[in-house]
Amino acid sequence: MVESNARFTYIHHYTTLLDTHHLVVRPNASVTFFLFISRFLLVVIPFLLLLLKDKSATLLLWILLVIALLIKSLLWKHVDKESIIIMPSFGVQLETQYRSGSKFRRFIPMSKILKPVLNECVTPVTCYWSLSLIVRGEEELTLVFKELHPPIKMLVPIWKALCTAADCR
Amino acid sequence: MSNQRRHRILMVSDFYYPNFGGVENHIYYLSQCLLTLGHKVVVMTHAYGNRSGVRHVTGGLKVYYVPWVPFIMQNTFPTLYGTLPIIRTILVREKISLVHGHQAFSTLCNEALMHARTMGYKVVFTDHSLYGFADVGSIHMNKVLQFTLADVSQAICVSHTSKENTVLRSGLPPEKVFVIPNAVDTAMFKPAAERLSSDEIIIVVISRLVYRKGADLLVEVIPGVCRLFPNVRFIIGGDGPKRVRLEEMREKHSLQDRVDMLGAVPHAKVQSVLISGHIFLNSSLTEAFCIAILEAASCGLLTVSTRVGGVPEVLPDDMIVLAEPDPDDMVQAIAKAIQILPQIDPQNMHLRMKKLYSWHDVAKRTEIVYDRALKCSDQNLLERLSRYLTCGSWAGKLFCLVMIIDYLLWHLLQLWKPDAHIEEVPDITYGQQEERPSNFD
Repeated sequence: MVESNARFTYIHHYTTLLDTHHLVVRPNASVTFFLFISRFLLVVIPFLLLLLKDKSATLLLWILLVIALLIKSLLWKHVDKESIIIMPSFGVQLETQYRSGSKFRRFIPMSKILKPVLNECVTPVTCYWSLSLIVRGEEELTLVFKELHPPIKMLVPIWKALCTAADCR
Repeated sequence: MSNQRRHRILMVSDFYYPNFGGVENHIYYLSQCLLTLGHKVVVMTHAYGNRSGVRHVTGGLKVYYVPWVPFIMQNTFPTLYGTLPIIRTILVREKISLVHGHQAFSTLCNEALMHARTMGYKVVFTDHSLYGFADVGSIHMNKVLQFTLADVSQAICVSHTSKENTVLRSGLPPEKVFVIPNAVDTAMFKPAAERLSSDEIIIVVISRLVYRKGADLLVEVIPGVCRLFPNVRFIIGGDGPKRVRLEEMREKHSLQDRVDMLGAVPHAKVQSVLISGHIFLNSSLTEAFCIAILEAASCGLLTVSTRVGGVPEVLPDDMIVLAEPDPDDMVQAIAKAIQILPQIDPQNMHLRMKKLYSWHDVAKRTEIVYDRALKCSDQNLLERLSRYLTCGSWAGKLFCLVMIIDYLLWHLLQLWKPDAHIEEVPDITYGQQEERPSNFD
């Protein structure tokens, strides 16, 4: 099952052993354009450094450094995909994939999950829905999607699947 | 109730639970009764400590504790435009039809009303206090109020004195201002099961010990009463900067055995303190309404109060003895109250209060104001700006500039995140009526 909106694509795979829910960030035109320009400049600037005199070289080095840092900041913590893999009677694996290629994984045994909950979160500027797990022995709620804030219609099927798996409907 | 008349109200104020006071009580009880009338009510306030985010309380009342840090006297820091994104989000996601702001010196209330008008929502404002005209603070607050009320749909005051004060301060047309008094939760304030002995007369004082509440007046009144009546004892509940003066008075006149200082009294224990006395003494120097005397009367206590603000409008003449805010006059009023004390029947007084002051009645009257507000014609920006220009030669132009910037910022927000991208919240519907609080009167 695939569902999309302006920001996210929700993909659901279901087998008897695994229930996988992916939340993929849709490409943002402005970010893609900026990355293209930045990469282009990163390739062009070294050639310009060879051609130009020493006076301009320091300036170009600074420009190079700034562009490199911008690309790093865009790639490093930018999330491409967040997934939840539900293994009934075994556990839940939460996965975050960053644009840089690095992945963060966390496994929570089913015996430790007390209840999945849908929360309304409030920040000083906005409100959004979040899906969390009440985990035994932990003071704070565990967020299923740490970085992304998908709409409620994408969270409800995941919440229902978690409720079924955790047997707390 | 027909679906057309069902309002979706956003109550906004910096003052809400877990903070305790008249405004907080008013918002809570009014919201609960509006819910029983079939309206949807959402409350928006700032976070209190770790109480942040969304909370659902009794009867399906939803409260947004926005994580804005209180700045001074439980008020959020005035940013003018900082609250626009969150207010817009709440208004859209809760499908609000009307915004109701409470208390003139609530920053959040003033900003919410401003943003709501920019977005074309109908707004109602309730003033809970009286203000002066002479001191710097009052002059500043009156100008802010003039700005807020320049474009308000309807306004509510808690007494006729308060209405007069608000109209004078804000320049609002009197026909736009309604008077709806406060009420009391009589179920919470019941008299003692057995009548107290008249051998010793106990006078109860429960208030914040500050200048405005007449703590300095108490310092002079208590020794005078104790001299005249050897069988009178005082119980003083409350805390504040003037507590030291009262303790000094107690030491000076050797009244330690006749004046009990309880310190701060939690709201849940107010009733148990009230029912231990015969007379309730209110020495306020300014008061728009004074809910404390309603609570005391509901507990069957005869009230002695200063004749200030909206106090004379609150209780029938046989339930209250009024005096000028002067020590000698107050002592005479207490003497008069002691004389008529045998005629007072606490149970009868409680039943009368139950009929006179009902939150359901307040809610029904407020509902009429909401209906009136929603019938007000929609006005474009230019028509609205003309109202602000009348606020003063310099202030008018400044207010217009503030509103133009607000309008532009709102349109920028609309471009950045259109209303269609803000998720609407599903309404919680109660299957059984019993799940809602049935009575607050």
